[in-house]
Amino acid sequence: MSDKTIARCIKVSLAVVLALVLLVAGCKKAPPEGGNDVPPRPGDTTEKTGDASAVKPADADTSAEMVAIDIKLPKPMFVGTPQSFQGVANLEKALGKPRPPFYAPKGTVNISVGKPVRASDEEPIIGEIEMITDGDKEAADGSYVELGPFLQYVSIDLGAECDIYAIVLWHYHKQARVYRDVVVQVADDADFIANVHTVFNNDDDNSAGLGTGGDKNYVETSEGKLIDAKGVRGRYVRCYSNGNSSNDLNNYIEVEVFGKPAK
Amino acid sequence: MTKKYWIVILAVAALAVALRLPRLQMRPMHGDEAVGAYKFGELLEEDYYRYDPHEYHGPALNYFTLIVARLAGEKSYASLTELTVRIVPVFFGFLLVLMPLLLLAGIGRAAAVVAAGLTAISPAFVFYSRYYIHEMLLVCFTFAVIVGGYRYAKSGKIGWAICTGVFVGLIHATKETCVIAFGSMLAALALTLLFRRRAGGIDGSPRKIKAVHLLAAAAAAIIVSALFFSSFLTHPQGIIDSVRTYGAYFSRANQNQLHNHPWYYYLQILLYRPGYANQPPWTEGLIVILAAAGLVFIVVKKSLPTAERSLFYFIALYTVIITVVYSAIPYKTPWCLLSFFHGMILLAAVGTAAIFKFASRASVRIILGFAFGLALLDLLLQAYLSNYVYYADYTNPYVYAHPTTDVFKITNQLKDVSAAHPAHYGMGVEVVVPDADYWPLPWYFRRFTNVGWRSGVGQMTRTAPVVIASPDVEDALIAQLYALAPPGEKNLYMPLFDGYIQLRPEIELRGYITKELLDKYNQLEAAEIQEAQK
Repeated sequence: MSDKTIARCIKVSLAVVLALVLLVAGCKKAPPEGGNDVPPRPGDTTEKTGDASAVKPADADTSAEMVAIDIKLPKPMFVGTPQSFQGVANLEKALGKPRPPFYAPKGTVNISVGKPVRASDEEPIIGEIEMITDGDKEAADGSYVELGPFLQYVSIDLGAECDIYAIVLWHYHKQARVYRDVVVQVADDADFIANVHTVFNNDDDNSAGLGTGGDKNYVETSEGKLIDAKGVRGRYVRCYSNGNSSNDLNNYIEVEVFGKPAK
Repeated sequence: MTKKYWIVILAVAALAVALRLPRLQMRPMHGDEAVGAYKFGELLEEDYYRYDPHEYHGPALNYFTLIVARLAGEKSYASLTELTVRIVPVFFGFLLVLMPLLLLAGIGRAAAVVAAGLTAISPAFVFYSRYYIHEMLLVCFTFAVIVGGYRYAKSGKIGWAICTGVFVGLIHATKETCVIAFGSMLAALALTLLFRRRAGGIDGSPRKIKAVHLLAAAAAAIIVSALFFSSFLTHPQGIIDSVRTYGAYFSRANQNQLHNHPWYYYLQILLYRPGYANQPPWTEGLIVILAAAGLVFIVVKKSLPTAERSLFYFIALYTVIITVVYSAIPYKTPWCLLSFFHGMILLAAVGTAAIFKFASRASVRIILGFAFGLALLDLLLQAYLSNYVYYADYTNPYVYAHPTTDVFKITNQLKDVSAAHPAHYGMGVEVVVPDADYWPLPWYFRRFTNVGWRSGVGQMTRTAPVVIASPDVEDALIAQLYALAPPGEKNLYMPLFDGYIQLRPEIELRGYITKELLDKYNQLEAAEIQEAQK
């Protein structure tokens, strides 16, 4: 390559660069009024000045630290030919993986264990009402309560007003079943008149008479049904059901309410 | 040049492209790359650039990227890709491979081809040619100044003087560390002239440098630099800031000791780093050893490929000075080594040519050629492994403060759950990491329009369906989440990720998603699986 050729190449290159620079310059416009938005603070490893120190949480309730609530689950109990759920509309799809724990403020515990329970059917077909808060979540005989047909409910008195973050509900998991018209409410009074909050409702045709809900039907498993109570405040928790995909009866193994006393 | 040389050069060029261009999106963006891309996004979207004398280095990278983005028709930060931004250093890295050919007369054909070849396959040069930072531009422009200066010294033509000035301006507009290159070049030039005078004019009488040429070069440098720093004459303050910046940099030189390393840090990187598992160690020792050989041949004035001793002196002195300076500065990051390592490559090329010239016997040359070929293959293999296999692995000496590939898991998970949110990319996301140590996530979340970037939980003014945070703030985070929402609206949060996620090694990030959104996402995912199974 001769010097002349190289010099020509350089000249051409410079001309191209100059043209491109002019192209860029030609695209310029006046800077926006008021300057630019503050960008996210760059974590430039080469130039970090450290002036973006962490801001202490303002007015944060430091007593309310996060804890992962890992629910102790019973043994799976599905036996025999799996149930067919033909005809069950709006059915939640199985995930095929375990449900992760949920997070709640520090101090959140199962506040329903051992608490008094009332039921719409005062004389269950099988079991005792107290079994619903006895901490036994197994599906074996002797661990569940069977209430009569049609719409039934169980109510738990937490003893005092509480902040409720989650409710976990086990109807029956010895067999894959779908319970109908599952509605869960929280209220200030035992009769569910004052300050009633519905935290779950999969009754899509108002057959329970409590209003229609947008939640899905679900298959009972040993994991129970985790319901987000959204920090609702109340003293009483009531769970309704209206038979199931196998028969018209209503079963309850356990109801766990996770929360803490209201301040 | 003969046809044989052209074939070799074309092969080297093809190899350089083949090593640099593929799969530019594969390696996670480094935090510095992401910051640069974010700043470029402002220029792209708002035609707005203001040189910041405290951060982000010079404007050259941004404006060269703008050319690429304009040619690619990209108009927004969200639409940018890794290809658009990383192609800029790829381009300059490729130019750097070919530039030794401009020194054919100075260092000889063999040395020029070896220099091009070593630059093409050096793992360091390949790695950082695919890295959206300023370094490759800095090295390329610096070498262009050396080439331009040399050719001006030989020809005495004003065109080369102006060319040199243009590149001086470009170096200045690239990165503040240009002062090290300028200082090293000036010192090397002064010492070369001194040696030359003592030797009684070793390359014959130097051409007389005309004052008007110097003035033209200086004018070119000032004009180019001023154009860039003033954001093309829309922000004159930038020109003043380009000088003021050195006060800021020097004043905080000892403040940030995060990247302080011993003087031998760079040499250690280049010479030996244990390999991954059963892999051989990482080393570019071949180049360092050949550079040392080149230095010896220049000092003893034997077997040099041409009679351009002044150029050899200059290259040797420049390389030694800039290596000493970079090694002496406590602040060190691996990409900074490129500035002096390129000088070593030139010396290594001279050394290689000299060794083959020195070995007069054909049998010795064959053995040397075989050994050299094997060593080149090893370099080539390392270049491949470091860029396409261990590109984010910390055994790779050039992976420094680099995000892990978990950033892809984070991004993909966020995209997946956003599909279950009615607002999709408008879904609210809060990212809370002390000291804003969440980069490069702003790059990967660039299509999300409703992201709150927080350095502390106290900066959060809302809850969001997805929160990504450092475990350090977890306790305060939930307190804030529950404090911000009234009773009955406090969402239950569950883990967003299935396993341990780290932004960088030992820097964990946790994700939180409302149960409501997780349920929707799970149902969407389950439906897709069922559909796929049909």
